[in-house]
Amino acid sequence: MSQKGFTLWFTGLSGAGKTTLAHIVEAEMRRRNLKIEILDGDVVRTNLSKGLGFSKEDRDTNIRRIGFVCHLLSRNGVAAISAAISPYREIRDEVRKMIGDFVEVYVHCPLEVCAKRDVKGLYAKAMSGEIPVFTGVSDPYEEPLNPEVLVDSSKETPEESAQKILKKLEELGYLPKTDEVYSEEEEEEVKRRLEELGYF
Amino acid sequence: MGILDRLRSLGKPQTEVKEKKVVLIGLDGTPYTLLKQFCADGTMPNLAKIAANSSLRQMDVSIPEVSSTSWTCFYTGMNPAQHGIFGFLDLQPNSYKIYFPNSKSVKAPALWDVLGNYGKRSVVINVPETYPAKPLNGALISGFVATDLKKATYPPELLPTLMELEYRLDPDAQKARESKDAFLADIYDVFEKRRKTILHLFDQEKWSLFIGTITETDRLHHFMWDALVDKNHPYHNGFLDFYRRVDGLIGEVYDRLDSNTTFMMCSDHGFTSIEQQVYLNYWLKDNGYLKFTSESPKSVEEIAPGTRAFAMDPTRIYINLKGKYPQGAVEPGEEYEHLRREIAEGLRAITYQGKPVIKKVFMKEEVFRGPLMQQAPDLIVLSNYGFDMKGSTNKQTLMDREIFTGMHTQDDAHFLINRKDINEKKPHICDIAPTIMKELGIVIPSDVTGVALT
Repeated sequence: MSQKGFTLWFTGLSGAGKTTLAHIVEAEMRRRNLKIEILDGDVVRTNLSKGLGFSKEDRDTNIRRIGFVCHLLSRNGVAAISAAISPYREIRDEVRKMIGDFVEVYVHCPLEVCAKRDVKGLYAKAMSGEIPVFTGVSDPYEEPLNPEVLVDSSKETPEESAQKILKKLEELGYLPKTDEVYSEEEEEEVKRRLEELGYF
Repeated sequence: MGILDRLRSLGKPQTEVKEKKVVLIGLDGTPYTLLKQFCADGTMPNLAKIAANSSLRQMDVSIPEVSSTSWTCFYTGMNPAQHGIFGFLDLQPNSYKIYFPNSKSVKAPALWDVLGNYGKRSVVINVPETYPAKPLNGALISGFVATDLKKATYPPELLPTLMELEYRLDPDAQKARESKDAFLADIYDVFEKRRKTILHLFDQEKWSLFIGTITETDRLHHFMWDALVDKNHPYHNGFLDFYRRVDGLIGEVYDRLDSNTTFMMCSDHGFTSIEQQVYLNYWLKDNGYLKFTSESPKSVEEIAPGTRAFAMDPTRIYINLKGKYPQGAVEPGEEYEHLRREIAEGLRAITYQGKPVIKKVFMKEEVFRGPLMQQAPDLIVLSNYGFDMKGSTNKQTLMDREIFTGMHTQDDAHFLINRKDINEKKPHICDIAPTIMKELGIVIPSDVTGVALT
């Protein structure tokens, strides 16, 4: 069966766990032989969107560019994963419309928890005013109203959240189900090994 | 307080408390009585030293006493009617079609999943019934019956390291039928690679719980238990030498521990000599309870209409109940209860050279409790030492001998913890998971079957 391309779009505050989740989900998708590309917000800003700032207009441009690349990948049978804050609902919906095969994952995490984690030290800078425009602190974050998957990284382990996402992808037919753990060949191997020990 | 003030107050430094850790070495199929013997006769000097300041106890395991069921009890703290693993094979719902239960069939949370919820990391190596490797907070290499190292490894980034260490999932048991020398060499080889991997991950990974399991012990016991029992056996020293190596690993791990780390050991069942293999399906057929569609059926998939009961490895008996199976022939209620009693009575009467073969026949409600009772075998047999129960369907005799010289025991597994006092005189394998949770300061879920031993 050939792979159907789609875009897995993570959205959520900085430090909510989008990149972490993207990589866990990616690992499992690779294990199931999917072709994947991750577009990480932080990485994209060092190349594809280099030079863009954090004004509303620049942010919209950044997301449109990510969305456009995801679109190209998806229509060529790749699972594209975007892990960027993507704070504005209107642009996310615009990208959704363009791509079609679009699965939105809202990585919910209370602002206080993200700020406490502050893995990149950005919240400290935002609070001291060093970063003037920062989502959740001085710029709005518009929650998705109807995401395909809602995870809460303040309450779930990354692994639990990843399982939710993988399950949804299975349901939507983007990810082959793994109920059949053993292929026919492997099943013969299991039988042989159980037989050798007298269990079969 | 405004949002900014609240955010600022979150960065205050906290007092650092040294974290508790637990290390457990699993020895598949190693009996308590054997470890006692090896501590006393000098075969395992490291263990003897550790045991002197520890509680080394004989332990019961679940029935059936097979690795898939037993290790799942170990890592969930729950009984099979809660976790759903009753053996190495099972039937798909409403059919006679066999499937091989695996990590995805386990219906209860694993110990490491519970720890993960508390942000604690686990490293889990070679525990049976964990294949394919599922994501966890930590690292896991699946044990038996893992077939593909890639699917047995989480996270995938660990795979290159395992390849470099030449990690092997399992010895090749086929070798035991070809040459005992080749088989022993293979067991030593797998063990050596596993030892290196255990020590490597012990040193390189971060963890609160570390589990390293050796399954070569079980393979050795199945095929070479006679070499242990007979001191003049040409492979007697080869058998002991393997345990000397295991003892070496125990020493290497123990020497690495700090005072915040609890050390434990356990097995999933014991072992003893086989006198006869006993074929439950032959007995059921011979007594008119079971019919097959062919002379030499490969499995219970070839059950014929009119069958009233059948067995699956090693000691599980299922009543062919109407409504549960496509060709169900027994009415629930009085007919079912009567048949169970009748079969139990018949089985209890089996003898070999005047000795009773079966110690006890349990009704399922005597040994299992939980939401998956429907899946449980209706009767479950516990044999006397020496009589190895098998679920083979093509045997034309009730008893015989094959290549195997060792069989599992249910009441002689071992448990060790490096402290002098524990709560239970004879622990049960379901007690280990809650004990580990308690050692790590975690709330024990109320539905576990076992109790904390400390």
